Amino acid sequence: MSLARRNLFQDKTRLALSIGGVALAVMLILILKGFLTGMNRQITSYIDNSPGSIILAQEDVVNLLGATSLLPEGIIQKAETIRGVDEAIPILSQFVILDLHEKKQPAYMIGYDPKLGGGPWELISGSEPRSKREIVFDRIFADRHDLKLGDEVEVMGKDFTIVGLSSGTTSWMTSFFFVRKQDAEDLLLAPNATSFLLLTTSDGASLDDILRRLNNISGVNALTKKDMSANDIILFANIFSAPLKLMVGIAFLVGTMIVGLIIYTATVERQREYGVIKAIGAKNRFLYQIVVTQALFASIAGSALGILLANGAAQWIMSARPQFLIVFDPVDSVQALLAGLGMALIASIFPTRVMAGLAPAEVFRK
Amino acid sequence: MTNSSSQDETLQIAHVTKRYGSGSTEVTAVHDVSLTVSPGEIILIMGPSGSGKTTLLSMLGALLKPTEGAIQLNGTIISALAENRLPDIRLKQFGFIFQDFNLLSALTALENVAIVSELAGFKSGEARRKAASLLTELGLGERLNFLPEKLSGGEKQRVAIARALINDPALILADEPTANLDSKIGHEIMRLLRRIAKEQGRSVVIVSHDQRIKDIADRVLWLEDGEFKETVTMAIDPVCGMSVEREKAVSAEWEGEIFYFCARGCRDEFLNDPQKFLLTASQESSKKI
Repeated sequence: MSLARRNLFQDKTRLALSIGGVALAVMLILILKGFLTGMNRQITSYIDNSPGSIILAQEDVVNLLGATSLLPEGIIQKAETIRGVDEAIPILSQFVILDLHEKKQPAYMIGYDPKLGGGPWELISGSEPRSKREIVFDRIFADRHDLKLGDEVEVMGKDFTIVGLSSGTTSWMTSFFFVRKQDAEDLLLAPNATSFLLLTTSDGASLDDILRRLNNISGVNALTKKDMSANDIILFANIFSAPLKLMVGIAFLVGTMIVGLIIYTATVERQREYGVIKAIGAKNRFLYQIVVTQALFASIAGSALGILLANGAAQWIMSARPQFLIVFDPVDSVQALLAGLGMALIASIFPTRVMAGLAPAEVFRK
Repeated sequence: MTNSSSQDETLQIAHVTKRYGSGSTEVTAVHDVSLTVSPGEIILIMGPSGSGKTTLLSMLGALLKPTEGAIQLNGTIISALAENRLPDIRLKQFGFIFQDFNLLSALTALENVAIVSELAGFKSGEARRKAASLLTELGLGERLNFLPEKLSGGEKQRVAIARALINDPALILADEPTANLDSKIGHEIMRLLRRIAKEQGRSVVIVSHDQRIKDIADRVLWLEDGEFKETVTMAIDPVCGMSVEREKAVSAEWEGEIFYFCARGCRDEFLNDPQKFLLTASQESSKKI
């Protein structure tokens, strides 16, 4: 028989509260972590889906989203002469503020040549911008602002017609939109300007060698897509990761306190019974096992429920607010279970101190 | 009761004192108390509230260490043992019976008893078999799987007695065992304890305010202000079965043994045919629990 289990199941309301408390805490932890993972994925979505394996930026520029880049004139031709480089795809990009329904909305403009690539990787309706003043918006972004194919939107004082809707090109912070490179040059008053080159490489060519050769060109910085993604994540992680991790920490603490408080009150309530067990001859170790078993049970059951709830809640959030991407990494679920175990062990500290402090002679006191 | 030799002693306490606090707040709960308990002996400790009964009982059960003096159990001075050795002594040498029964509310009657056996190292199955057998002997065979809340007061106390007996202890310590029982059930429980003590040779020390328990005791000790003030030795009238105080009773000697009676009538009846009453007493005491 397990006294811990019997004690735990005797008060089902308390057990439900305990499991529910941990479940909510674990759910919150997973949602926040999933949100962070989703945010990272959204941040790097353009780089991940754009052609090529190397990005050429202005000297000292290491981010796609976090910095303005302007490459030297004639860089396309120079880059294409580098051994191992197959093709150089130019883009002109810039954060802009759109005025949609009198609401300011930051968005990231990508000016590209539809014949070369570098535009939306998944069009769900319409087409790429083939003519002047045509624009492709993200579907979710368009929905949020009640925009549809054929509508006109003003970008930096010029009217554009929505000709296509893309998918996977938005986040809760901002959204990508795509225009022809010439239109972007017109908007930025920068004829023939290029922000970045997306470089494809020959099969079998060494990336390190190509990077070294590219970095010999004056005024440029060549990075692998992987490195630039990592830099963008670090840049945004610095902004958002700290508060999100703080919230994860708070959720962990709240969960721990819930289990701790419930196990503590359950222990105090049964103090006399535990005193009797101690008087009869049980060692403290036996009593500690009761507390830890109860805390572990509540935490593991709560964590498992929390994982299920987190999946349900994530689906609901993403359907209600599609701009939020919540991605669960299997490692996060394992970490959530470990967090549950951590909660159990920390939550056991005070109840075990109560047990340790029980004077067996007290059982004879009325 | 008869004086026992030191070899037969279950428990011996010598000049035990317990003080709480220090300086101006020092309180002496028990002062220079000595007592010897023999196997099978039932000792009743009575006294007013605050007289030190609970403190003395706690020290006897190795729940509390004396400030001075020594407590010896079956040759081992338990008052000198390290704290970490006491749980094992309590588990295997003592059986505790409490006023409020103090059963574990989440466990059934069977489990309440078996858990003590498990603590002593028995495997679950063996512990449950022992517990079931003991509870059945105590008349609770039909109540094995009942939670304490479904048991009557008398049944709860019998579960508590089974719990106290499961590890075959030398000494049973009972704190106000009849306080929460009506008089009939209380008397039944006390007779049960007496039978256990006499048939199994276990010593029993009872702390109580209940005067009726005197009937089953071999000795009654009066504790006041932490000291034993009076000792009353009890005896059973072989004719009517009444419990009588030896010091106040009518007595008679037959074949070198002294017998005590509640009144002259019983004594005279006994002396007319002593064999008749001694045979009856012998049959009574051989009844199984």
